[in-house]
Amino acid sequence: MHEDVPMESQHARSGDADDDAMNSAISTLGGELLAEDIRAVPASMDAFLAQVERRAFRMAEVNLGHREDALDAVQDAMLRLVKHYSDKPPQEWTPLFWGILRRRIVDLQRRRKVRSIVVGWLGGRDEDGDELPAWEPPDHSPGPLERLRDSQSYADMAAAVKLLPQRQREAFMLRVLEGLDVAETARAMGCSEGSVKTHLSRALQRLRDQLEDWR
Amino acid sequence: MNAPDNHLERRARELYREAARQLDPTTAARLRTARRNALAGADGSSPAQRLLQLMLPAGAFAAIAFAALMLSSPVQGPVGEAPGVAVSAKGEIDGDLPPDAAAADPALYQNLDFYGWLAKNGDSQASR
Repeated sequence: MHEDVPMESQHARSGDADDDAMNSAISTLGGELLAEDIRAVPASMDAFLAQVERRAFRMAEVNLGHREDALDAVQDAMLRLVKHYSDKPPQEWTPLFWGILRRRIVDLQRRRKVRSIVVGWLGGRDEDGDELPAWEPPDHSPGPLERLRDSQSYADMAAAVKLLPQRQREAFMLRVLEGLDVAETARAMGCSEGSVKTHLSRALQRLRDQLEDWR
Repeated sequence: MNAPDNHLERRARELYREAARQLDPTTAARLRTARRNALAGADGSSPAQRLLQLMLPAGAFAAIAFAALMLSSPVQGPVGEAPGVAVSAKGEIDGDLPPDAAAADPALYQNLDFYGWLAKNGDSQASR
C-alpha cells in the first residue's frame, strides 16, 4: 500500500527528465485550471465547507470505498477544522481541511486493517492482492455513481485512482482533482514539495497506462 | 506529451466535479447536517459540555477550599475529647485550673450551702 513511502527521503534527487517534463506540464495545466476555476477566498467557514463538502465526500469515497466511512471522515474533518482552525485566516482553510481529511482517511484505513487482522477469516487483500483494507462490508445501496451522466467514466477513473499507491493517490487527488497548488498539496500531505511532484508524476504515468482509452 | 496529460487531468477533474455535483440527495442532506453540526459546535462543545466545563473548575475550587478549611481548623467533638481530658487531668494535678465539672463528685453539688458555710467559718476560725 505504501510502496513509495520510503522514497520520501529521496526526492531531492528526483529530477529526471520525464518527471521534470511532466511537472512542467502539470504546472501549465494547473495555471489553466486555476484560471478557469478561480478559488475565491471564502466569506465564512459555512461557505467554505458548503463549497468543499461534496468533493470531500467523493475524495473520501474513492479512498475508503465505503459510503458511510466516507461520510464519517468528512464529518470529522469538518468538526476538527471548525473546532481547531476557525481562527486561522480563510486562505489557510483549504490545505488545512484537506490535510485533516487525508489524515482521517488514513486513520480509518488503519483501523480497518487492524479489524481485518482480528477478523482474519475474511482475508486481507482484494482481488488484485493489493493494498486495500481487507474487511469491507458490502454496500448494497444503489450507489450515486449509477445516477451520474458520466458514471462509467467516473467509475473507471475512480477504480484506476484507487489502485494507485496511497501517496500517489493523495498527490493526484489534491493536486489535480482538487486543484491545490504544490505548496498547499505538500502542506496537506505533510511532505516536501519535491515529494509531491514525484508522487504526482508517477501517479500520472500509472493512470495514463490504465486509462489508455482516454487518450 | 503535454496534450495527453492535460487531457487526462482535465477529464479527471471534470468527472470528479460532476460526480460531486450529482451527489444523491440523501448523501447531500447528510453532509449539510454534518456541516451544521460542526458549525453549531464552533465554540468548542455542546451546551452540556459547556456546563461541564464550568462545573469542573467550580467543583475543584470547592474541594480545595474545603480541604484548606479542614486543615486550618482542627475538628472539635468526639475526636477531640481525648486531648481535653488529658488537659483536665493535668489541671487537677497542678491545681492551676478550675475543677472540671464533668469530672467532679456529684455529691459536691448537693451540699453547696454546707461547703459555702464551711469555707466562710473555716476562714474566720483560721484567722483567730
